[in-house]
Amino acid sequence: MKRRRTILLTGVLAVAAVAAIAAAVATSTAHAGKPTITLATNSWEGSLANNVVAQYVIEKDLGYNVNLLTIDEDPAWPAMAQGKVSAVLEEWGHSNLYAQYIKGNHKVVDAGLEGPDGNIGWYVPTYLVKAHPELKTWKGVKKDWKMFVTPQSSPQGQFLDGSPSYVTNDAALVKNLGLDLKVVFAGTEAAQLTEIEQDYKAKKPVLFYWYTPQYQNAIYKFSQVALPPWTTKCAKLKPAQINCAYPPYHLYKVMATNLSSQAPTVASFIKRFNWTSDDQNSVAYDLAVKHMSNTAAAQAFVNSHKSLVQSWLSGKSSKVEPPAPGT
Amino acid sequence: MAPTATPLYLAGAVRRLDRRLGSLARWAAPIAVALPLCLVAALLEGVHSGFPSNWVLGVPRWFDNLNNWVTANDESNFFLHSIVGGFGNLLNSATNDVVHFLHWLTWVGVLAISVAIAWLLGSWRTALFSAIMICSFGVLQIPNGGVNGISQMWPSAMTTLALMAVAIALSTIVGIPLGIASAVWPTVHKTLRPVLDLMQVLPAFAYLVPIVVLFSIGNPAGIVATFIYAVPPLVRYTELGIRSVPRDVIEAAEAFGSTRRQILRNVQLPLALQAIMLGLNQVIMMALSIVVIASLVGAGGLGDPVLSALQTEEIGEGVVAGFLIVFMAMWLDRTSAALGQRATRAGAHRQKLTRTQLAALWGGLIALVLVCRYGLGLGDWPAGWGFSLVDDATNALNWVTDHLVGVTTPISSFVTLHLLNPLQRWLTDVPWWLAAAIVGTIGWARGGWRRGVLLVGCVVLLGLMQAPNNYTFQNTVSYNFDAWADAMQTLSLILVALALDLIVGIPLGIAAYRWRVVDHGLRPVLDTLQTLPAFVYLIPMVALFGVGNVTGMAASLLYALPAAVRATTLGLRAVQRDVIEAGHAFGSTRWQLLFKVELPIARPYLMLAVNQTILLVMAEVVVAGLVGAGGLGLDVVTGFSRSEVGLGAAAGLAMVLMGIVLDRLSQSSPVRNPTRRSAT
Repeated sequence: MKRRRTILLTGVLAVAAVAAIAAAVATSTAHAGKPTITLATNSWEGSLANNVVAQYVIEKDLGYNVNLLTIDEDPAWPAMAQGKVSAVLEEWGHSNLYAQYIKGNHKVVDAGLEGPDGNIGWYVPTYLVKAHPELKTWKGVKKDWKMFVTPQSSPQGQFLDGSPSYVTNDAALVKNLGLDLKVVFAGTEAAQLTEIEQDYKAKKPVLFYWYTPQYQNAIYKFSQVALPPWTTKCAKLKPAQINCAYPPYHLYKVMATNLSSQAPTVASFIKRFNWTSDDQNSVAYDLAVKHMSNTAAAQAFVNSHKSLVQSWLSGKSSKVEPPAPGT
Repeated sequence: MAPTATPLYLAGAVRRLDRRLGSLARWAAPIAVALPLCLVAALLEGVHSGFPSNWVLGVPRWFDNLNNWVTANDESNFFLHSIVGGFGNLLNSATNDVVHFLHWLTWVGVLAISVAIAWLLGSWRTALFSAIMICSFGVLQIPNGGVNGISQMWPSAMTTLALMAVAIALSTIVGIPLGIASAVWPTVHKTLRPVLDLMQVLPAFAYLVPIVVLFSIGNPAGIVATFIYAVPPLVRYTELGIRSVPRDVIEAAEAFGSTRRQILRNVQLPLALQAIMLGLNQVIMMALSIVVIASLVGAGGLGDPVLSALQTEEIGEGVVAGFLIVFMAMWLDRTSAALGQRATRAGAHRQKLTRTQLAALWGGLIALVLVCRYGLGLGDWPAGWGFSLVDDATNALNWVTDHLVGVTTPISSFVTLHLLNPLQRWLTDVPWWLAAAIVGTIGWARGGWRRGVLLVGCVVLLGLMQAPNNYTFQNTVSYNFDAWADAMQTLSLILVALALDLIVGIPLGIAAYRWRVVDHGLRPVLDTLQTLPAFVYLIPMVALFGVGNVTGMAASLLYALPAAVRATTLGLRAVQRDVIEAGHAFGSTRWQLLFKVELPIARPYLMLAVNQTILLVMAEVVVAGLVGAGGLGLDVVTGFSRSEVGLGAAAGLAMVLMGIVLDRLSQSSPVRNPTRRSAT
């Protein structure tokens, strides 16, 4: 009996040994020299749209293998510092991480602006503004808070926030503008959107955190609620004291410092990569709504934007502009 | 309180009276101490709700400092760079090697070898079942769901398999020796027990942040998280197996002059083999239930599509990917369960093949792999052999939600307005000293004064976890953390989920005990609920119940339900036959028998059911933070996703303290199931 077990064991070991040798031979020939590029995909569709197009161009024109890694915004920075992530093609604010990793330990470099301007704000469905025009500004929200009451937020009105990983000042805004609202975090953007969709179907009131560029804006009609305008004075306030709208975000790209030495052509490509909100939305729409494959969506875009893609391969690097403080 | 096997009604009445008096006495002393202390506290502190906001230990700042130090020193510090970093690299290259090996085997090789192993260990049924499960990795496709956006899931499944292999190997290398040491040396047992308790109560989310800080993101972080989550049952089962070797067997060995080492190696370990195998089976199941969470720290595989489905609202994608994980769990469960049965002596005698046949089988398999690899040039599962059920799953779920939402919305509002909100308000209003006194009194009455003191300590420490008002760290991080209020919010969810679980679970458990049909019907449902990642059904539940506490509670409820059902059935089955026959002889009806004999005797198991359910509800309540249930769950998730390390760690610790309190409150006797899950 013991001998049989030994044979079983020897069999397993033999297979493993043969395989290990073969695998070692196979791997050493497959990736000779060129490192694999890892792009961090954050949790919104636009981030994926950037990455699939970049992946397609880097693989096809520059000859590197590209890996897409799903990861939250903040953990992506230490990952870049440790060389686990090569680049992030869309950063919103993060002046604190900018100070730590770009100005501080120089492990990450700023690769310039991405093109689109990000706009974060408070939104309601457009049907609601038609019925209640005062909801165009926060003063209307102050007056109409009762319509936003839900069991979860009761007895206050509900302000629906998305993922806790996104940049938000909503709790401070509610307090400092004296609104009778309770901030409820949906936990993820998908949960938030599911909730909004259910209300949208029933034409119910809902007030929520939202942003552009966002491909869902092509499907649903949302209207922005004006908050007190953003000023440089307001930008200097502590997070708990903020009482004005979100600042404009000039979305930018970052990459690991050592990418320039490891894959110089990729580093130059990332510095040059630059497109518009409409470009991004069209790719995101193809991916999320038309369910096209990553490669097909990227190919469709690249084939119809030849000169743009050419400028990423041999044009000028995009302008570098650090994020505004406090964003 | 061991179950007594005496069904005599006359003696029973006397004993019952005696027990009543006894339990009164048990409560007298703790109440006599707690009441005056309460009065003193009320006089000194005043009757304010919650916990004083100026009592701060500064725990969040400790962790923020630590994080800062680690990020600054991870290259210069020898320990961080060489030991931790080296260990991480080792895990990473091991995983990559296994992944390459699995791809090298080709899909035919993986299938043939797995089926052969399943057949050798089990029966042709096990083999057939394994074959179907493995084929599902190839057949079921998800558009854009796989590695780098391909629709084939085979590579993702192989990555998950490799991660499992390394995590399980690590658990075995560490877990079995620890279990042996714990069985041999009482000091090891004493020090290890609280550590294992902690590992079982600690929500995985709470240690994701420190793991990412130490190992960065990627496979090593995923493996370490899986290891921490999955290893405790193996240690406990190993120890239990060795300890439960009968004394007389050991004495016989001693009489023959065996040394301690010889006894351990030749007597105790072989006899404990079945328990160890059971532990291994538990490790596999628990490791698979954390696949999605491992993906949160950058480990690839089948967890990725589930996670991205949660982030991009692709319900169908999440469901299909979730079921692939369930299928892998079922395959590995069956195979490892067969290994466990084989480890018993009865199983080992039935050898299927002779030596030569076995050698021929392995030779044949190696030849097959070589032919497939180099002769036919095969690789992963062929891209054309599969289809996508994603759209069908999405449509089906949308249809269900559209038709049910009219019913579920009022239920959700009712539960929130009349159950959760009032309970939460009430719990938040209770002054901390009153909460501490209540918890301490119950703890003392159930487990002695030491337990009472421990629990009071935990309650106070929980409140002290908070961050000071407007806490900022180095001008870059700022957050609020009111540990007490958030803990009470979480507690209200746990209590309601627990109550509903017991209300539904215990009758279901009884039904499964009474009727075989129910038992057979429930088994696949419970198996699925245990291994289907909750992330899969979170979004459909948001559609049904809306963002908020109800959805979070429902997720916890579903996850913990199998434990409640199974522990009840298990307890009833443990009632000895002769006791039941004696009841029959006295002319009891079936229901009388159930309520007067079987259920009272199964009481320790029912308490175990409560205990297990609480632990599982706790484990899931963090995930509830992902769908709008606030409280500690949201704090832990926020801490993780925004790198607010101090917040995540302090909230995680608060959760551990709450877990210890709830665990000890619901544990009266020393009966302790070695696993977090029920062991059936």
